[in-house]
Amino acid sequence: MKEKAKTFAFRGKYLLLGVIIFYGVLSLVNSGIPLLALRKSILILIKVVPIFIAVILFTAILNYFIKPKQIASHLGRESGVKAWLWALAAGVISHGPMYAWYPLLEDLRGHGMRDGLIVVFFFSRALKIPLLPMMVDYFGWAFTVVLSLYILIGALIQGWILERIEHTNRESKC
Amino acid sequence: MENNTKQKKQMKEPSQKSSFWKILYKSSLSFWAMAPLLFGVIGLVGIFQVLVTPKMLSSLFRGNFMVDTLIGTLTGAAASGNPVISYMLGGELLAQSVSFYAVSAFILSWVTLSFVHLPAEVAVFGGRFTLYRNILAVVFTIMIAVLTTLTIQVLS
Repeated sequence: MKEKAKTFAFRGKYLLLGVIIFYGVLSLVNSGIPLLALRKSILILIKVVPIFIAVILFTAILNYFIKPKQIASHLGRESGVKAWLWALAAGVISHGPMYAWYPLLEDLRGHGMRDGLIVVFFFSRALKIPLLPMMVDYFGWAFTVVLSLYILIGALIQGWILERIEHTNRESKC
Repeated sequence: MENNTKQKKQMKEPSQKSSFWKILYKSSLSFWAMAPLLFGVIGLVGIFQVLVTPKMLSSLFRGNFMVDTLIGTLTGAAASGNPVISYMLGGELLAQSVSFYAVSAFILSWVTLSFVHLPAEVAVFGGRFTLYRNILAVVFTIMIAVLTTLTIQVLS
């Protein structure tokens, strides 16, 4: 119990406090705005809860079946092309807002996941397969195909650039 | 001999099960530790959705494709919500003769960039990573928007 009390600590307390104060100040100016915003926030939370549950389950399953050493070898510095493709595919498949995936990525990063792969994951999320028909409807086939292709290529290049930057930073420190 | 292995299996199964629950409990606990951070971000998203209206966003575009691409990137990052809304808004912007450059940048930055998520991203991944990632995302959003529009023009 003592160990749990030592390791467990809420994060983002000040952010939440700041947001609450912001809502409070806004209510002094116009009480309608914070009420409407609160309603919207509750609706967002209801939509996001299933994703949160899925992320918790996925993190647990991952930690149960794959050892930290294996994660490091698949997604760490020594990982190869496969890791980049996995990050790309995971970003495309992932649903919900970006922040819902922070806990899982933090966990994987703690086990040795490369930062470049996180960058690839975040940028490739711009490509949403279920929404492609809608994109085609609004902007046409050519636009959708070209943009999707550039998103995937751009995500990989960004990951590679970040790795280069981090490599240079490490070398300059040595 | 067979009984022995059965006994061993039985001994093993409950311990594996309990260890999974333990891991699940740990994952839930680390997620719960992040709850104030996530609630704070959701609260910010709610207030941004009320304060930053689509009308306000579309009124910012000026008609200059270079400036509009930058405005598209920044407004997409300032707005938040389902990507479907960005497509609908993008369609509206195109109907209002806003350039493809700006609309591409807008729908791209809607998903990849977010001012509202920044405090949480810094808290989870650190300031340096967040800075690099966001600078790269801004640069690539603009580049991809320009390249996409140019490619479409060449193709058509």
